[in-house]
Amino acid sequence: MLAGRLIPRTAVRSSFRKTSLPTVVSSVSRWRRGYASQAEEKDLVIIGGGVAGYVAAIKAGQEGLKVACIEKRGALGGTCLNVGCIPSKSLLNNSHLYHQILHDTKGRGIHVGEVKLDLQGMMKAKDTSVTGLTKGIEFLFKKNGVEYIKGTGSFVNEHEIKVALNDGGETSVKGKNIIIATGSEATPFPGLDIDEKRVITSTGALSLDKVPEKMIVIGGGIIGLEMGSVWSRLGAKVTVVEFLDQIGGPGMDAEISKQALKLLKKQGVDFKLGTKVVSGDQSGETVKLEVDSAKGGKPETLDADVVLVAIGRRPYTTGLGLENAGLDVDERGRVVIDSEYRTKASHIRCIGDVTFGPMLAHKAEEEAVAAVEYIKKGYGHVNYGVIPSVMYTHPEVAWVGQNEQELKQQNIPYKVGTFPFSANSRAKTNLDTDGMVKMLADPETDRLLGCHIIGPNAGEMIAEATLALEYGASTEDIARTCHAHPTLAEAFKEAAMATYSKAIHF
Amino acid sequence: MFATRALGQATAHAVERIPLIRFLGKRQIPAHIDHTPLPHPASPTGSLPANFGNGNTHTTFSSYRDSAQQHGPLRKSIGAQSASRLGPIEPPQGHYFDRNELPERFRRTPLSAAEIEAIETGGATLFG
Repeated sequence: MLAGRLIPRTAVRSSFRKTSLPTVVSSVSRWRRGYASQAEEKDLVIIGGGVAGYVAAIKAGQEGLKVACIEKRGALGGTCLNVGCIPSKSLLNNSHLYHQILHDTKGRGIHVGEVKLDLQGMMKAKDTSVTGLTKGIEFLFKKNGVEYIKGTGSFVNEHEIKVALNDGGETSVKGKNIIIATGSEATPFPGLDIDEKRVITSTGALSLDKVPEKMIVIGGGIIGLEMGSVWSRLGAKVTVVEFLDQIGGPGMDAEISKQALKLLKKQGVDFKLGTKVVSGDQSGETVKLEVDSAKGGKPETLDADVVLVAIGRRPYTTGLGLENAGLDVDERGRVVIDSEYRTKASHIRCIGDVTFGPMLAHKAEEEAVAAVEYIKKGYGHVNYGVIPSVMYTHPEVAWVGQNEQELKQQNIPYKVGTFPFSANSRAKTNLDTDGMVKMLADPETDRLLGCHIIGPNAGEMIAEATLALEYGASTEDIARTCHAHPTLAEAFKEAAMATYSKAIHF
Repeated sequence: MFATRALGQATAHAVERIPLIRFLGKRQIPAHIDHTPLPHPASPTGSLPANFGNGNTHTTFSSYRDSAQQHGPLRKSIGAQSASRLGPIEPPQGHYFDRNELPERFRRTPLSAAEIEAIETGGATLFG
């Protein structure tokens, strides 16, 4: 009973202590040095909880390292899970279903009644997928003993990172090893202010509250074509403006790119290739773009309700305090690293979009595992020649290894084998026969050099080509491997047959 | 008899195609790995900056001192002046250090109004 009435112990202690301070020493004194709190030292501190960062954190936990991962978004998974690969795939899949129900049921003996789009419902389905996956990573963090620090990290020096916590306050953490995995952000277009409502990046394109009547996509790369496809399927009139004469970005094989262009046009997407955007005006009711041919001389004005800026992404290091750790970035803002992901300060490594290589989630994951293995075991492995790329339009486009134009440029001899899905039994039964599989191989050794697929399930099928390329298989090795019938994968086998000899069904 | 069977099998295998992919056995960790910094395979320049990987991120000692930390920035506190210039560590005769000069966590815990009153009344207010 008395306990609640007692004076706090600290108060008593301080109240009755004798103090005798006749003269105070001047403030300039060696006694005035700081008594900073010692930050806890971890084996590994990771800045960024995106695909690169969270995979590195889990791997490090599995390897027995004491690890902390700093993430400011408030949700793990980075761009990929929150505003990239995952939500876009949800919208791509569901918009494809909607489009198919609207336009592709009669030939299948299915008659449907009134079909209505519930955009809010579609967005909710997307959010459910995203939330489930991000929470899943939090669970994996707990399972693997990873400390998750929600806040913005910046270097104090080469070993210490200050974190401005999302819930207020500040902490700091020290690391024997540090991994920078801060990712990338959409490159803005000069002269257009991104408001994520009318002038949007891929982030805004994932959460529009209504289907725009007209949409212009600046940039005919993978992101632009995927998001353009989504809104085109949902009813927008989409025009893609691309500076180059080819869509799909630099890695896509020219022949495949032409087919993709033809098929996307057939779906109602307009293209202005070899066209540059000169200026933009978003002051009116619609956004106006002044465009011209890449060589000049064909000026034109385009207008749309929404303009999607998809001209690429740039490394994100804002506020990271790289200068406090003495680290360098190159002319494009990428952190400079060596072959073991070490920066100039060898205990600080860097992986994912913020450094060299293609900005792909699966590349970042590979690097995450390799970087932790370098720390723990002294060796790691990523084969940069065998990183697949996928464009999740319909049909999908996927490739791995070298394309025909690259081989020509490097004067590497090659032979080509192709097989169309129109000759594949499963594609026939699915009434989904657009596209083909194309293989490139060394004419002398028959070793696979590259594989390019446009067609249904290309994104899944490319895994087989990636494995073959990683192992150094010949096209005959692939062709002599038994494939189940009837499957789309038989088209892959037949393309290999066509490369080393002749396809059976074409 | 076994020799004949083995010969027969060997003859049969001789005409079999040998795949280009071969199983190399369990993955082996090399006994010696050279960790000399090499350019990253995806580096656009294919080279490393001149002073890369020498264990020092600063080009001069002065630039190191600018960023070095020891209980705060080194140059601004400890090490900014030589120890001899700062004078003796002991306070002069008759001078004492005030506890309030120390960082906050070493100072007295601030008293609340109720605590002050309790002290002033010898604790009587607590039982009132």
